Amino acid sequence: MAREQPNVGDLLPLLETSDLQQLDEIRGLINEQLSTERGSMLLNALVDYFLETNSAQAMHILSSVREPHDKHLLDKLNECMTRQACRLPTLTLLGHVIRKQPSWIHKIARYPLLLSLLKCLKTDTDVVVLITGVLVLITLLPMIPQAGKQHLWVYFDIFGRLASWNFKNPGHVSEVYLIHLHASVYSLFHRLYGMYPCNFVSYLRSHYSMKENMETFEEVVKPMLEHVRIHPELVTGTKDHELDPARWKKYEIHDIVIECAKVSLDPKEASCEEGYANMPANFYPQVHLRPQDCTSSPYTDLHSSFGSSSSTPFSTPRQPLPPPLSLPPFSGTQSSPRSPQTSRWQNSSGELNSSCGGKDPLWSPSSLCGMATPPSSRGMSPNSELSHSASHLPGRFQCTSGGKGTPASSTPATSSPPPTLSDDFPIISLPANTVQSSPPRKDRRHGESGKPALVRQEPVKDTEKSAEVATNREAEAAENVSMTLTELSVFMKKQELELQLRTEKEREEAAITEELLNITEEKQELSGLRDFDSPFYLTTETLTGCQAQDKTFSDIQPGGPASDTQHVVSTPDKGETTASTSGGSERGGGGAGGSERGGGGAGDSRSSALGLEQSCSFQSGFTPIDHHLHRSPSAPDEDLAKFGMFSPSPCDKASVPYESFFDRALPRAASLFVGQKTTEAVHKAALERMLQREEGLEDGEEEGVATASPLEVLDRLVQQGSDTHDKVLKRLPLPSKSADWTHFGGSAPLDELHTLRSQLLLLHNQLLYERYKREQHAVRNRRLLRRIINATALEEQNNAMKDQLNLQSVDIVSLRESLQVEQQRYRQLWDDRETVVTRLHTQIRQLQQGRDDYYTKNQELQSKLQECQKRIDELEAELQRANNKVCHTGHLLNQMTIKLSNSESTQQQMSFLNKQLLLLGEAHKLSMQELPHAGADNTKEAQMLKLSYGKEVETLRQSLLVQGQKMEAAQQRVCELETHHSKKEHLIAEQKKFLEDVKCQAKAELQDSDSRYQAQRRITQLLQTELLQLYSRVETEAPAGTATSSPPGGGADPHASADSSVTIPDRQRHTNEEVGSRPPRGSPRGHSSTLSPRQPKASNSSRTTAYCGSQDQAPTLLVEPSPSCPYANLLAPLPPSDAPLTVGSYPSAKSFLGMRARELFRNKSESQCDEEEQQSSSRLAGLAHSLKTELCVEPPCPGYVAPVGLAHSAAPAPAPALATPLTVPTKEPPSQPKQRASSQESPRRKAGSGGGRGQVGSGRPRQQQLKIMDYNETHHEHS
Amino acid sequence: MADDPQRNFRSSYYEKVGFRGVEEKKSLEILLKDNPLDLEKLSTFSQRFPLPSMYRMHVWKVLLGMLPPHSDSHTMVGGYRKEQYHDILEALEVMRYVNSSTPCTHVYLRMFQLESQVLPRCSEISAPDEENEDFLSISRAMEEIIDDPIDCYWLIKCFVNQFHTKFGDSIPHLPKSLEHYLSQEEPRLLKHLKNTGALAQLPYSLWFRRCFAGCLPESSLQRVWDKVISGSCKILVFVALEILLSYKIMLLGITRPEGVVRFLCNIPQENTDAIVTKAIELWHKYCGTPMHAV
Repeated sequence: MAREQPNVGDLLPLLETSDLQQLDEIRGLINEQLSTERGSMLLNALVDYFLETNSAQAMHILSSVREPHDKHLLDKLNECMTRQACRLPTLTLLGHVIRKQPSWIHKIARYPLLLSLLKCLKTDTDVVVLITGVLVLITLLPMIPQAGKQHLWVYFDIFGRLASWNFKNPGHVSEVYLIHLHASVYSLFHRLYGMYPCNFVSYLRSHYSMKENMETFEEVVKPMLEHVRIHPELVTGTKDHELDPARWKKYEIHDIVIECAKVSLDPKEASCEEGYANMPANFYPQVHLRPQDCTSSPYTDLHSSFGSSSSTPFSTPRQPLPPPLSLPPFSGTQSSPRSPQTSRWQNSSGELNSSCGGKDPLWSPSSLCGMATPPSSRGMSPNSELSHSASHLPGRFQCTSGGKGTPASSTPATSSPPPTLSDDFPIISLPANTVQSSPPRKDRRHGESGKPALVRQEPVKDTEKSAEVATNREAEAAENVSMTLTELSVFMKKQELELQLRTEKEREEAAITEELLNITEEKQELSGLRDFDSPFYLTTETLTGCQAQDKTFSDIQPGGPASDTQHVVSTPDKGETTASTSGGSERGGGGAGGSERGGGGAGDSRSSALGLEQSCSFQSGFTPIDHHLHRSPSAPDEDLAKFGMFSPSPCDKASVPYESFFDRALPRAASLFVGQKTTEAVHKAALERMLQREEGLEDGEEEGVATASPLEVLDRLVQQGSDTHDKVLKRLPLPSKSADWTHFGGSAPLDELHTLRSQLLLLHNQLLYERYKREQHAVRNRRLLRRIINATALEEQNNAMKDQLNLQSVDIVSLRESLQVEQQRYRQLWDDRETVVTRLHTQIRQLQQGRDDYYTKNQELQSKLQECQKRIDELEAELQRANNKVCHTGHLLNQMTIKLSNSESTQQQMSFLNKQLLLLGEAHKLSMQELPHAGADNTKEAQMLKLSYGKEVETLRQSLLVQGQKMEAAQQRVCELETHHSKKEHLIAEQKKFLEDVKCQAKAELQDSDSRYQAQRRITQLLQTELLQLYSRVETEAPAGTATSSPPGGGADPHASADSSVTIPDRQRHTNEEVGSRPPRGSPRGHSSTLSPRQPKASNSSRTTAYCGSQDQAPTLLVEPSPSCPYANLLAPLPPSDAPLTVGSYPSAKSFLGMRARELFRNKSESQCDEEEQQSSSRLAGLAHSLKTELCVEPPCPGYVAPVGLAHSAAPAPAPALATPLTVPTKEPPSQPKQRASSQESPRRKAGSGGGRGQVGSGRPRQQQLKIMDYNETHHEHS
Repeated sequence: MADDPQRNFRSSYYEKVGFRGVEEKKSLEILLKDNPLDLEKLSTFSQRFPLPSMYRMHVWKVLLGMLPPHSDSHTMVGGYRKEQYHDILEALEVMRYVNSSTPCTHVYLRMFQLESQVLPRCSEISAPDEENEDFLSISRAMEEIIDDPIDCYWLIKCFVNQFHTKFGDSIPHLPKSLEHYLSQEEPRLLKHLKNTGALAQLPYSLWFRRCFAGCLPESSLQRVWDKVISGSCKILVFVALEILLSYKIMLLGITRPEGVVRFLCNIPQENTDAIVTKAIELWHKYCGTPMHAV
């Protein structure tokens, strides 16, 4: 570190190198060192270096020092401040640092530097130091507003001191310094008044209430007060509140600056923000006040010169206003110092240029180049300087200067513009321009020339010209345009060059402005760059501002010319130092000037008009007519001019560079805004013209006295300085210039040089201060622009919202309509509903009424019903009671009847007893009669007997009664039994009937089955015969020889051998018949139901017998007839045979059933039997008859059925008889058996019938025994 | 009759007007509904009125004793009859009295003979005698009337039996009564017959033994037999009488007794219905309407 330190310190001189690369390296090295190192060595070295060399590089490094080094820096500065010698550079450095606005700047209030600064300001006597210090303080104040609390009175004291200094001039410094000082104090006044109004006013009150200060107040402070409005804080705030740190917290630095500017009425100083600066109001007081102000303050000149100093050529167009305002006082009060002023100004302008060159190079290489110039320029004459600047300075510098120069040099432009234009453009255009523009101009001028104002205006041009070229003025006054052209031959080339450069510059500017739109930062830098680039840039800046100013004035043409006259009056005075245009004769001069030129009227006026026109045209459109001509060469300028031209307010001045932004950033808002402004401007311009014209006439004299602000004075001073400088430069050879200076200043050349130098410094300071202010404005403007953009955006939004609102309102309207329609519909529906509801209600009411009626009726009916029920209950109760009564009475009646019957019976008994009594009485009488006859004994006996008889009779009667009753009972019983009996009989009859029925059925069935049986028997018989026949055939065939045994059957057998075939069957048939007759015979014998088993047995036996031989059989058969005979007479013995069966149980068997049976079987059995018996006999008898005719008639045939048998026997008999005559003998024996058989036949039949009967009988007795005992009885009884 | 509530009150008027037998059917149905059929009533009805053909067979069966009066035992008895018939027929077939080619009437004859125990041996079978011829003619007529062989056989058998048992005695007297009635009706014809000597030769057996079987067509014959079955043989006399009366002109024209016999044996079949009707009327006229009690 320690080793390095010296190295860095050694490096410092190298900062001044011309090698850019090396410079960069060194600068980087130093910065690196500063950033790494904490010590104060390097910094101190830097400060020292700066103080020694006033190096821009060092200053640049120092002003951008970082945080930790601030302390060192401030300490070092404080230390330096203590030394008288380096106080000024220190302050300069401090000013640079402060204007850089480092972040740590607020700390300064805590460092002793501030105190030392204040102390310096309080005590120092060097004006330059004071001015510089005041400017630093002014710059510093907004940065440390809260620090003012403790230092407030120090500030005020400083103000008081400097104000009084300005007036009293204790150090007898030169007027130029005073002007500078006045401007500074003016600024300080504004700052203090803006920041601490209450305290400041109270200070003023207290300080200037003292008599010794009254003069100062009157002279200095009061005019200042006239340039401010009443601060609102004076009304609302208090001293303490002003000092409250909280108050400042919401303000940024530029806010405070603007706040201070707001309260200012000075267009130079004031801000036009937020309606504070309403132009017309602002303007008039200015106009009115200025004369006074101007008269009172000579510094206005200085101030004005300051403005114009930077742009010598350019100031001319600006001149129209400022000169008239500033000149009067200038000329009036400072007629004497005029020349030195001009010379001074010349110097200062030179210095300014050089200083600017020296100070600016901080940023641009061109300024670096300029760096070298100041020293050289110092020694050089302004002319050389100019030439140097024109020829020597490279492009940009030149161009800027030229650029500024051309428009600014409208004074030369009065003559020069045509050539310049012709150079730039075809000549045709220029003449056309001039011609085109001039005639109306001329006309107007002519119109105006009639007025004093117009006449006065011409000199303005003269003064302008005089500002540029002193000689020109006389020539102008006397000669035509050509004159000016010839005169300014020297300038021609320069201006041509300048013009060229200027156009270039303008283009550049246009590009820059375009760039500015996009990048504000860049713009700032560029502007800053240009600032430092060249003083001319500043002039361009001021030019723009001035242009705007000019425009305001040009707008107020009447006012302009009015002031012009003064200026004209004064300028000739100044330029020519002619006696005629001396001090007080301004107005007169004005008038005289007018009258003087009245002779040369037309030409002069024309020329002047032409000059004016040209100047105007170069000034970016003085009038709208010219305006279009201007467009081609300087479009961007024109734009600016356009806005500037139409913006009548100083506020527009400030906003001029930004309005182009508006135009592009916010086209709509900007155009609207511009339109508004233009219309306003046009109106105002028109109005003001009128007013000014009048005023111009009226206040012609007063205008000279009108006060100008210190700044204006300064402007004018600078301008005049340059003017004089030029004039002197022209007249004098270069070497004599110094002599001139001495001549003007009246002081030693050294002193003069020093003065000039310091003045230059002051101007530079002033310039820097103004630049700072401008930066603050720029910052603010940017913010405002942002706000405007936001506002416009919001406006847009608002518009959109409004549109939407409209749309929605339309929607709402439509919806309302539909709502109304719906409401109507709804109302209709509601009405309908209402009607329906009412109708229904009425219906309901009616129904309810009906229902109520029904209810009431129902209730009535119910009550009636209840009544009826009650009545019914009562009646029922009555009925019951009556029934009870009836029952009771019935019961009673029964009882009574019983009693009655009892009583009747008793009565009968009574009557009976009475009768008895009577009889007894009679008997008694008789006995009484007899009694005497009979003895006493007899009577007693008789009586006793009577008694006993009576009793017996009684008992007998009783028994009779009993018997009778028994009889009745028995009879009844008998009846009952009879009925019962009859019932039973009936039942029995029914049963009998049923039984009969069943019996009949059974009998019929039995009969059928019997017939079946018969049929079966016949079949079997037949089969048997067949069988027998077959057997016999077999037998006869097999033992043919030994047939001796076979015919045992009788005598017929032997014959059988002869004709066995015939006989055997015959015989067999007989046997068969015999056999067949057997079973019946057996069956009756058994008298049992086992009839069928017998039959086979019988057949068997018969068969066996037949098989063995019919011999045994035959005898049995023969024998049998005897027992069978009784069978034949079965009918007779049948009853006896049946007797054992029927006896007990069937007493009257013959009576009913028997009869029936007989009836039933009569045909078959009895009658048949009878018939058969008869038949048998008759047949036996008739057999002979039949045998008579037919011998072969078989006897058995008739035995069968008599009628058939007759026929039957008739037919078959003959055949065998005929066929076998041999059998005739055999016929006899068979006839017998046949007879027997026939005889048997009947018994068999009888037996069959008998068997049937027996069957029936056997079944019947059982049945009868079981149940029909009574039946027979009853039947019998019934029958 | 009029008292009977079940009868139509118009029935008497029907008879007067000439519609006969309108109500008979109904009254017959009423009679047939009695459970033990009243044979007397049935026979009385049958004598008085013509039988409807649909009930004829049933009435016959009942009256001839083929079916018992109790309708409950009809089926059973019918079964018996059937079995008996088949047994007999089988026996006959076994004994080769009959075969499948034997005509029904002969079969019936054999069966009847078997039942009557007069069946000759197979070897002794000869041409049927007069009695058999009577049976055969009757059976032929009956066969025409009835389809079922069993019923036919039984009816034939019962008819023959009943006829013989009931009227066997009175048949010989019938020619006398015929002569008597003829003398009352047409003495001229009688005289003519007597004169020609045809009176004794009249076909009495055809008329009275065969009951006009083979003489009258079946439709007419039925009506005659109705009366016969219901217990009247006099009707035969009147039928014969009516035949004589109807054809008296023809008979009067025939002088030879053989011709008379021949003609009478083959009387034309046309007017038989009228003859029968007239005969019944005549019968009613002479014998009176048979009342309940016969």
